[in-house]
Amino acid sequence: MAEEIKKHRPPPDPNSAKYKLGQIAAKAYSDAQAAKDRGEPVGWCASNFPVEIPETLGLAVVYPENQAAGIAARGGGARLCEEAEGDGYSNDICAYARISLAYAKLKSAPEQDVPMPDFVLCCNNICNCMIKWYENLARELNIPMIMIDIPFNPDYEVSDEQLAYVRAQFWDAIHQLEKLTGKKWSDEKYKEVMEYSGRTSRAWLAATATARYTPSPFNGFDLLNHMAVMVTARGKKEAAEAMETLLKEYEDNHEKGVSTFRAEEKYRIMFEGIACWPWLRVTSTGLKSRGINMVTTIYADAFGFIYKDFDDMCRAYCKVPNAINLEFSRDKRVKLCKDNHVEGLLVHTNRSCKLWSGFMYEMSRQIGEACDIPVASFDGDQADPRNFSEAQYDTRVQGLMEIMEANKEVG
Amino acid sequence: MNTQEILNRFETVARDPAGQKDKYLAAGKKVVLMAPVYCPEEIVHAMGLVPMGAWGGDMELRDAKQYFPAFICSIVQSIVELGMRGAYEGASAIVIPSLCDSLKVLGQNWKYAVPSIPFIPMTWPQNRKPDYALDFTLAGLRRVIRDLEAATGATFDESKLAASIRVYNEHNAAMRDLVPALAAHPEITAAQRSAVFKSAWFMLKEEHTALVRELLSGLAAASPAAAKCPVTVTGILADAPGLTALLDEYGFQIVADDVAAESRQYRTDTPEDGEPLTRLARKFQAMDCCSVLYDPDKKRVEHIVALAKNSGSRAVIMAQTKFCDPEEFDYPLIRRACEDAGLPLIQIEVDRQMVNYEQARTMLETLREAL
Amino acid sequence: MFTLGVDIGSTTSKCAVLEDGASLTVTSIAVGGMGTRGPQEALDAVLAQAGLTLNDIASVVATGYGRARCPWTELQASELTCHALGAHMVFPGVRTVIDIGGQDAKVIALNGQGRMKSFLMNDKCAAGTGRFLDVMASVLQIPVEELGRRALRSEHPSAVSSTCTVFAESEVISQLANGVDLDDLAAGICASVAARTAALAKRLGVVPPLCMSGGVARNAGVRAALESALGAPVLTSELAQLLGAVGAALYAYRKQH
Repeated sequence: MAEEIKKHRPPPDPNSAKYKLGQIAAKAYSDAQAAKDRGEPVGWCASNFPVEIPETLGLAVVYPENQAAGIAARGGGARLCEEAEGDGYSNDICAYARISLAYAKLKSAPEQDVPMPDFVLCCNNICNCMIKWYENLARELNIPMIMIDIPFNPDYEVSDEQLAYVRAQFWDAIHQLEKLTGKKWSDEKYKEVMEYSGRTSRAWLAATATARYTPSPFNGFDLLNHMAVMVTARGKKEAAEAMETLLKEYEDNHEKGVSTFRAEEKYRIMFEGIACWPWLRVTSTGLKSRGINMVTTIYADAFGFIYKDFDDMCRAYCKVPNAINLEFSRDKRVKLCKDNHVEGLLVHTNRSCKLWSGFMYEMSRQIGEACDIPVASFDGDQADPRNFSEAQYDTRVQGLMEIMEANKEVG
Repeated sequence: MNTQEILNRFETVARDPAGQKDKYLAAGKKVVLMAPVYCPEEIVHAMGLVPMGAWGGDMELRDAKQYFPAFICSIVQSIVELGMRGAYEGASAIVIPSLCDSLKVLGQNWKYAVPSIPFIPMTWPQNRKPDYALDFTLAGLRRVIRDLEAATGATFDESKLAASIRVYNEHNAAMRDLVPALAAHPEITAAQRSAVFKSAWFMLKEEHTALVRELLSGLAAASPAAAKCPVTVTGILADAPGLTALLDEYGFQIVADDVAAESRQYRTDTPEDGEPLTRLARKFQAMDCCSVLYDPDKKRVEHIVALAKNSGSRAVIMAQTKFCDPEEFDYPLIRRACEDAGLPLIQIEVDRQMVNYEQARTMLETLREAL
Repeated sequence: MFTLGVDIGSTTSKCAVLEDGASLTVTSIAVGGMGTRGPQEALDAVLAQAGLTLNDIASVVATGYGRARCPWTELQASELTCHALGAHMVFPGVRTVIDIGGQDAKVIALNGQGRMKSFLMNDKCAAGTGRFLDVMASVLQIPVEELGRRALRSEHPSAVSSTCTVFAESEVISQLANGVDLDDLAAGICASVAARTAALAKRLGVVPPLCMSGGVARNAGVRAALESALGAPVLTSELAQLLGAVGAALYAYRKQH
């Protein structure tokens, strides 16, 4: 029955959040290309590099992680990975990095083109693999690399020393970029960016928190698409407006008792890890066909960048997922599971991401115990299609579902 | 001791770190483990504790699999495996720096896998060159001091650190002198060379320096054997007996290395001026040419070529630790630089779990034939 | 009321018929899994033995990797649930089920009532599965059934530790070339599979009593190595290979009620 709705879906409504968010993501690429065409310098930027810096300076940047995910989702992952492997990159290396390094050489890919960079902006708060990848980009393309080191924090709180180190690097990066591009930092512009970023983030947090309703007014796979805007365009007015529209839509859905999850929601799970982009439809259908809605992921929490000043912003960048210790990571997830009435945890053991997968066994055990929910994991990869088995995924999801089903029967 | 006896002594120590640990414990000393790649050993030493390297071991992974997926490097996994099997019992703490993603993960898993040995994190800055990185480095060092005091009851005294820095700088110098001295003596096997470096991790540095100096005078008096095929080795580790045996079998002699567990440790001295702790921080700021240290100019690549050229190497052998992405990212650039310099390069995949070196054999045999 | 469980695996197909969800009527097993004539042969055999036709069966549930393409039913359950149910029926009170099949290994934790609490399965690599044993047996040029018998005779098991089937194969070949005793090699191979599975079990948490299901359960060498790695006895039964089918038949019965 629910499937019927999908088949008769109307053309996209230009006032819908989905349309607006899609436009923002697409515009990021076309704006960067336009800047390049005007002869302005363009950067390649790490996903969790402080977007406020290029935004305030008025610099066009594109996001190689975003591009790699797009290429992988459109079927180009294996081709570009193999290209990089031909150049000597091990197939054990992160597939985003392999795709991006291959693109840097080929300079074109029908799945998603980007303008070639004049500088790279690197931040390792998500992994140190990022440093190696960007070093090689900078070297191969013979362009400057601007690096902000946000160390993995073994403690729960951000220390004053870490804050001072990160703040100094933010200013260092700003000054390097001013010198490199001739653009000027403006405190007023920054204030504006900060305000939009806050508005966007508040709307995002509130929108993702509507998963507390049963059924959830949205399919969690939506978040995987919308997070691109959160990461890259948070500080723009359009982003704030689009996210506020999204929130309104989710609240309306709840009022009307409908959802973007177009099936009966029988089970609610949290999904852990980056999406399996080359197998997005398979992984999504495997859940939907069983009435399993992925109601939340750590992204729901992670991209709520709300801060009151520059220092506070630095602190926020020190607390992104993968920069924080096991206990802090666990507690954030336990809260999401409890707030959103999650009945099971599905973990993507992502071959590309050593940091995200490396302590997941222990952390997911602890989450399972704390929330009294079953945990299942499957092997996959964020962008290399060769590291996934559909049959394996299907069996594990079904196993997870059967435990959730039995748990319900017992009550 | 004659040269052979000294070499035997190094080999005994390298083969039996547990024995060394027990010896120090029996002497009433406390032992602190140092995980790869760089730890502030001088601080541990200055507090009267014995720093001992913990780089895992060649073994089958069993218990560690409860914590790690298969694609995390076997160095990190075997450290936890040894910890879970009780091999490190008696140690008062382990210092683990977060220099690569697998090391970050090691620290987090360690807390639950080996709760009997406290985890002390060492957070080095990657953006280490600017002045502002100094305070952050100092904060990282002070945190290690605080945690060590809590774990061992020992106290820190900056004047003692000055003495320990001297011990370490002297050891660095001895290890740097060692490389050309060994290169001049082809009769020293790759296995023996490896043992000299490896034993450094399991001895107090003053003891190791003395033994190395004794070896150096022995070698100075000895006449060298016939030349072998000189090579430079790079990688994280190159101590697997299966690998060193093959190097010896095919007549290769390591005349220079860029191995993390070997010469990379000894390139940079702590500078002379300033307060001891600040000097130690400055040492880290000065370090370079390493796959786990931010290297925007890729100086390591040129370093390897220069090392090979200056040592008269006829080839470069990269011992690639399986799943070590910092090294894997460098490989294509090293490969190209070697090619441009006319230096043959082979990449041999090594793994702490490996018992079969047939692939390595084929590659080394082919290289030997080509040269 | 009769219910039928069909377990379509990677290399074999198994069927079981239950009467009233309790008494095990008959079982069958045929060589050939998904995409072969195996499922049909297993079905024909089980029906013939039971003296029934498909019309006499109230409900059919399919399990195993081929479950989605079972021609006789649309009802399916994962092999996890089926092995758990089957194991609980054959070994009442069992808390941990270890299943090593042709393509994968799994460990299932049951609560005291026989309900599946959680499970873990091996990673994508084939080392540690029945397929691994097949490959190794062919390297040694002995029937796979002989591996376990030979392993038990060994006094000095050899070390087979490579993380992947391809490397392990060359490791075994070179040991063979070096004259390592066949019994010792067989023991090394069995121990290698057991070590992998034991690690999986420890990750999940080992609660006795333990039992083993799947084709590899018949390999006494693997079982003995597993017992020593886990430090606990591992129960098994003639029905080990059929627990998935038995569980599916039981699942079919329960779904009717």
